[in-house]
Amino acid sequence: MNASAPILQLQDIRKNFGGLTAIENFSLEVFPGEIVALVGDNGAGKSTLVKIISGVHPPSSGTITIEGKPVTMSNATMGRAHGIEVVYQDLALADQQTVYMNMFLGREPLNRLGLLDRRRMIDETEKLVKELDVRIPSAHATIRDLSGGQRQGVAIARATHWASKLILLDEPTAALGVAETAKVEAIAQSLKQRNVGILIISHSLDQVFKLSDRICVLRRGKQIGVRETKKTDKNEIIAMITGLQQQ
Amino acid sequence: MTSANTGTEVGSFASRFNLQQYVVYLGFLAIFLFFAFMLKDSGFLTVRNLSNIVLQTAPVTIMAIGLVFVMSAGEIDLSIGSIVAVSALAAAVTIASYGMAAGIVAGLGAGILIGLINGALVAYVKLPSFLVTLATMGLFAGVSRSMTDLRSISVTNETFTGFFGSGSLLGVPSLIWWTVIAIAVGHLVYRETRFGAHVLATGDNARAASVSGISVPKIRLAVLTISGGLAGLAGLLYAGRLQAAKYTLGETDLMTVIAAVIVGGTLLNGGKGSIVGALVGSLMMGMLNNGLILMGLSVSDQMIVRGLIILTAVAVSLRDKSR
Amino acid sequence: MRKALSIMTALASLFAAHAFAAEGVTTGPNGEKPVPAASLKLTSAQEQQIKDGKFTAALVWHEMSEYTNAVNAGARDEFKRLGIEVVAQTDAGFDAARQKADVETVMAKKPSIILSLPVDPATAASVYDPARQAGVKLGFVDNCPAGYKQGTDYVTIVSDDLFQMGNKAGIAMAEALGKKGKVGYIFHDADFYVTNQRDGAFKKTIEQDYPDMNIAAEAGMADPARSEDIAQAMITQHPDLDGIYVTWAEPALSVLSALRAAGNTHTKIVTLDLNEPAALDMVKGGNIAALVADEAYSIGVTLARASAGSLVGLKAEPFYAVDSIAVTKGTVKGGWKKSLNKDVPATIADAMK
Repeated sequence: MNASAPILQLQDIRKNFGGLTAIENFSLEVFPGEIVALVGDNGAGKSTLVKIISGVHPPSSGTITIEGKPVTMSNATMGRAHGIEVVYQDLALADQQTVYMNMFLGREPLNRLGLLDRRRMIDETEKLVKELDVRIPSAHATIRDLSGGQRQGVAIARATHWASKLILLDEPTAALGVAETAKVEAIAQSLKQRNVGILIISHSLDQVFKLSDRICVLRRGKQIGVRETKKTDKNEIIAMITGLQQQ
Repeated sequence: MTSANTGTEVGSFASRFNLQQYVVYLGFLAIFLFFAFMLKDSGFLTVRNLSNIVLQTAPVTIMAIGLVFVMSAGEIDLSIGSIVAVSALAAAVTIASYGMAAGIVAGLGAGILIGLINGALVAYVKLPSFLVTLATMGLFAGVSRSMTDLRSISVTNETFTGFFGSGSLLGVPSLIWWTVIAIAVGHLVYRETRFGAHVLATGDNARAASVSGISVPKIRLAVLTISGGLAGLAGLLYAGRLQAAKYTLGETDLMTVIAAVIVGGTLLNGGKGSIVGALVGSLMMGMLNNGLILMGLSVSDQMIVRGLIILTAVAVSLRDKSR
Repeated sequence: MRKALSIMTALASLFAAHAFAAEGVTTGPNGEKPVPAASLKLTSAQEQQIKDGKFTAALVWHEMSEYTNAVNAGARDEFKRLGIEVVAQTDAGFDAARQKADVETVMAKKPSIILSLPVDPATAASVYDPARQAGVKLGFVDNCPAGYKQGTDYVTIVSDDLFQMGNKAGIAMAEALGKKGKVGYIFHDADFYVTNQRDGAFKKTIEQDYPDMNIAAEAGMADPARSEDIAQAMITQHPDLDGIYVTWAEPALSVLSALRAAGNTHTKIVTLDLNEPAALDMVKGGNIAALVADEAYSIGVTLARASAGSLVGLKAEPFYAVDSIAVTKGTVKGGWKKSLNKDVPATIADAMK
């Protein structure tokens, strides 16, 4: 565990939608090179939290601090500007475009003539997929022609390329088979070396225990607790998720 | 066609000319060879006739470029035929009183303005483009009829008719220049700029485009405005070529343009398309018209054969796409 | 003084007679006097010369309809008789730009003759110029491009005798009503040369030639889709009308349905153009009394003959008009053949049995 300052700090986050409270009193710190898992039942508020951290929804109250500086965000573009990248559950890939165009979607580099710098996009894509060991036929491959695991790999590679602070993985293996899940988990592990914070949302406790350093449990919008993965077990986490802890 | 490439460019050309887009080139070649063989004594292969085909299809080609952008963004523009008539009439009326420059501004301006109206309704009022442009198609068909009370307006300004219709530069007719320039610029913008990439991404997956920081409404506004402007240009070309404008101009072009674009490898649902393919599709439509007439078929037989060929071409290109 | 007066009276009557004559006949688009189409004849020597010439022709139509089909058939039959090959046929769908493309396209086959109906006469010069400059003989139906000179730029114009059509409709109405009674008049309320001439001729015929008949109700129809409303109003206000003239057959069907809805079987309808449902009502003894039709087939024959003749030096008259016929219950069969050169539709043939 890295003892340096947290890369992301959430303090007393609260989010109301009209009269409904979706999130209350949520506080969490993520350190560079750390994987924190966010678990909870359906409707516990995980996706609301993803939207707050990625900048889509500003919190009703509370503060978000990135590397010690408080930030306010009101859309995903601002989140990205602060170095936060999200790998969405649906991956947000344009299926009929190439891998390299997706890698740079919305942030395409231009050459001196103001035209797309394909050479650079292709080179950087190839370099990155090699580093992350995402096995795709080529940077020119069309997303549509890739397998589910390969697509997930491309989406993670894209987030990795752009994230300077934090990567949010939203259910990264929900739709994948066994072999592909293992591959994606290996990629997620390797991200730790990049010294960014990683927040993973997952339904699979096996995966959570395999990957994470700490586990944060949410139930009905409330933060139940944060545990170090090494010092807890599945029974405790299940109890926290279901609310049967106190018996 | 550029198939022999070396080194670094191989990859990008491979994606540019994939199998689906070959369909239109092969189809074009097959039809060309068929007519060349069947009509070798009927003047089909004369330079005059072949250049006529390009001249006659110039307005359709220009409109097709606009529609490639619109369809690639996952939208449709049914109003282009009506825009042609409004723009041609606006130009003709303005030229008569204020001269050529004002006429060009009026013609193109009318097209761009209608495109902006379409675009604003689609992008910001969030209405489906099919319904918006279906409505504006009817609306501006009415406007074009009322503009001059169904009368046709002559265009006598010879600079204008030369520039947009009957003139030539360096021995090449102006309509061919227009076609070449529009295709070159259209292809460059579509394939090599950020805007082109964002149009494709929007049509492919609007949510992905949006979370990637692309302003989807702006893209929708832009493609419909481009389409309106190019339909306006097509109106000027018709007015120049015919030396007159009438409300019927462009009325029957919509289906030809859509067929040219789809046969040319652009997906109806967006995310994929080709400007060069649309050119070839448009030339294919023109060549079909020309060849079937020269074969001496009756009008009804021409329509049946043309319909069957278009159906085949569309079936082949679409089937290949959804494999 | 008296002499002067008589001269003036004579002059006045002369003017009046002239005015009547001018209004009483169809004139060409440039005021040409009509010559009966039947008067155009080729000598057998000319015909042989044409056959030896191995000429070709192209047919560049404005649109395709039953009418164009009949003109087209007449032209093709006459060309066939004269050994002229028809090398191309086109349909511009009422689009002047397409018609221009069509002319350019057929020029690749270097036809000797092009027969055509200009979509937009006012601006048609740019459409036909490539053919005219190449010396192709141009023959036109109804109209010619503005600025073209007959004899040098084009051969001739062949058209309906529009006044005669309206006139025959008036006569047919009088026959149907026994030359007396109240007539309703539904005219085309638009600035359209063809319908205006026909409608005017009908009205004039009733007013001038049949003192015991009068036009009791008039209604202008601008939009054919609203013809049923117009008919409804006319029948409601004038239930005692003996006959109704309708400007052409499609709206006449709306009038027919309005009459049927009102249970009216006594009001007779006379209209223009052959139309299957209208003819069916007529042979079944319904409200429709007569349909006046032009001899569209003859337009094609005449135009083809004049254009072919011009290739061997025949000088055609500037403007030919074909006859029209009033088709009634008894003459449906022959009329159909004469006008459209087709057998009467089976439904009508069956109803007549």
